Amino acid sequence: MELTPSEQDRLLIFNVAQLAQARRARGVKLNKPEAVSLISHAVIEAARDGNTHAQALQAGLTAISDNELLPGIGSMLRGIAVEAVFDDGRRLVVVDYETSDPQVPGQVTRLEPISQPAKSGAVMISVHNNSMIQISVTTHMHFFEVNPHLSFDRPATYGMHLDIKAGGHVDFPSGETVTVQLVPITGDRVLIGFAGLVDGPLDEPGMKERAIERARTLGYLSEQS
Amino acid sequence: MNKQELIESQQDIAVHGARKGDFVRLGDTALVVRVEADDREIGNEVQIGFGKNLRDGIGMRSVSSNDSCDVVVTNVLIIDAVLGIRVSSIGIRNGRIAAIGRAGNPDTMDGIDVVVGSGSIVIPGEGLIATAGGIDTHVHAMSPRVCDAALSSGVTTIITQEFGPFWGVGVNSKWALDHARNMYGAWPLNVGILGRAAGSSTAPLQEALAGGVCGFKIHEDTGAHPRTIDTTLKFADEHDVAVALHTDGLNEMLSVAETIKVIAGRAVHAFHVEGCGGGHSPDVLQLAGRDNILASSTNPTLAYGVNAADEHVAMIISAHGMNPELPSDVQMARNRVRNATMAAENRLHDMGVIPVTSSDALGMGRVDDTWRKTFAMASMFADEKILDGSVAASDVVTDNERVLRHVAKITINPALVHGLSHEIGSIQIGLLADLVLWPYSSFASKPNMIIKNGLPAWGVVGDPGATVTNAQPLLIGPQFGAFGVTAEDLAVQFTNNSATDSTGRRRNVAVRNTRTIRSSQMIRHGILGEIQVDPTGHVVTFEGQHLTQEPQNAATLTRTFLL
Repeated sequence: MELTPSEQDRLLIFNVAQLAQARRARGVKLNKPEAVSLISHAVIEAARDGNTHAQALQAGLTAISDNELLPGIGSMLRGIAVEAVFDDGRRLVVVDYETSDPQVPGQVTRLEPISQPAKSGAVMISVHNNSMIQISVTTHMHFFEVNPHLSFDRPATYGMHLDIKAGGHVDFPSGETVTVQLVPITGDRVLIGFAGLVDGPLDEPGMKERAIERARTLGYLSEQS
Repeated sequence: MNKQELIESQQDIAVHGARKGDFVRLGDTALVVRVEADDREIGNEVQIGFGKNLRDGIGMRSVSSNDSCDVVVTNVLIIDAVLGIRVSSIGIRNGRIAAIGRAGNPDTMDGIDVVVGSGSIVIPGEGLIATAGGIDTHVHAMSPRVCDAALSSGVTTIITQEFGPFWGVGVNSKWALDHARNMYGAWPLNVGILGRAAGSSTAPLQEALAGGVCGFKIHEDTGAHPRTIDTTLKFADEHDVAVALHTDGLNEMLSVAETIKVIAGRAVHAFHVEGCGGGHSPDVLQLAGRDNILASSTNPTLAYGVNAADEHVAMIISAHGMNPELPSDVQMARNRVRNATMAAENRLHDMGVIPVTSSDALGMGRVDDTWRKTFAMASMFADEKILDGSVAASDVVTDNERVLRHVAKITINPALVHGLSHEIGSIQIGLLADLVLWPYSSFASKPNMIIKNGLPAWGVVGDPGATVTNAQPLLIGPQFGAFGVTAEDLAVQFTNNSATDSTGRRRNVAVRNTRTIRSSQMIRHGILGEIQVDPTGHVVTFEGQHLTQEPQNAATLTRTFLL
């Protein structure tokens, strides 16, 4: 058979699924490893039967039902990743089982909403994308140094970043103008790297003027609106 | 909260995990903790990944590891007996915890404690719980596979009494101990070995000391006689090593009162103090609650259940070389099994009297069950919480103190009892970065990652040929830190100050302060008092208070997760 490690792993899924099926047939409510094995097994066998990716996903979603599960299991059956062999090759299927079971092991309960404290020194800037492709900017990027094809009052954004949730981003579609809010960068306000326009302490005397001059020389201001 | 706030909160929790003030249920238990602090700044949370802010010059500072960290575990919910329950980041340098607090780049963010370098390894901790690695002080390594099982359950240190399918209860041969250090080098697991204290003279003790043991085990199977106890404790006092004690269960030479008298106020670690695991029948539990006697439990009696008594008779006969055909052997086994002391033991844990849990692996306990049983036991005493908003957040009575007390039992307190706390036992700056990362949903039952000396050494691995790391079947097993000579480098061998020489690459660390440690110093414990077990073994009191507890039909953390 020349089975690879990955193929041998299929047999572990099969073994557990066989056990889970026998237990389910006796009317036993399923726990987490049992339920995961049945979902995985259903996806793999649907692929083996020549079904499509969408059909295999559906097979995984319907492999079990809430009334076959122990309390609290349903919520743990999100993001079940299975690699199955389809007719066009090996494919990844990720099954997010939907449950109506209110019990959730490890549940986080927040009774009071968190609020992001307002930051001082915020400015609003209109940004136009002159390029043919979409440009996206993430939260903490030094806005002064973003893609030169974005046209805006660049000097006004010196030492600023987007005032959105950390890890988020703003999309600037081609040819469109988007207004964003920016806030000052905090900490020691030292910017190293990026486009090399600053490469030092933001607030050092003459630094801003030098950065604007570099920006102009390197073409960052040529498309300024 | 209105509907919009609820949706936004759920999204925020999915991205950033719990925050200060949030309630987190641990696994499927009744235990709910409230996050006491969050070292992040809202709006400046760092995260690694596509479009995130842990990038060069932004969240990462373009400096070498010397000026930042080798490894950073970001924004993880720390549950630590010393540190409390807080969201923080853990910075690691050269295998040790170097910084704890807010992670990021001080050039662009305020209040950074953990500098993330542009080259730092980042382990995202959002949505995970970090504890110190579990310490199991009572392991019979009757099979090498016990090490695999220990690591797979979140245990990173074992104090063992042998290394082979022989009943050692301590090993003394220097020749054998030299081999043992090399054998144990195969696992990224801290190991200390106990010598056998069957010494009416000190010659066998001296040899074991030279061979590098970290303590001694007195066991009735090889003699827990008055002379043995006294000789061993005297020797231990001279050399600063711990002594573990399994007392004379037959009351052949002495009863519990005489054992206490022979110990004479010296520090000793009383194993399986409830008594099913052995020791004075029926009243060995009276050893607990005393300042110089550091009491621990083994895990089968914890989370006291309806089948506990029946299991133990069979276990005793099987573990101790007895014959089920011999009525006298069966009777001896039955005498060790008492529902009342099991019930009382569980109560004494919740009260903070018994400070340590352990396994008694392959010798009447399960090496991979200590985290699980410790927290299943904690859950027995927790009330259900009302978290639907009908009770104000500030009025919800949470289990923070109970959870920290139970974490202490399997981390810092065993470290203190065996003189290991200068290296391990909690998440503190300067200690080895031995960490266990747990999903909130399977806390104390199934870990996600075991970090040994700062490197992932064990944990969940998936289909090796897959496009992603998390494809089924997910198994708990070795990570890269368990391979090559790295396994040997990532762990320490706990030994003593008089060990003459050592073989192998593994760093030797002498245990410390084992003779001055007292029950009153146990973290989140230290409650002392007189325990009485009546001669029938059916009534247990603590300071005159009758301790009872109904056995439970079902334990948490168990059926939900175990095949």
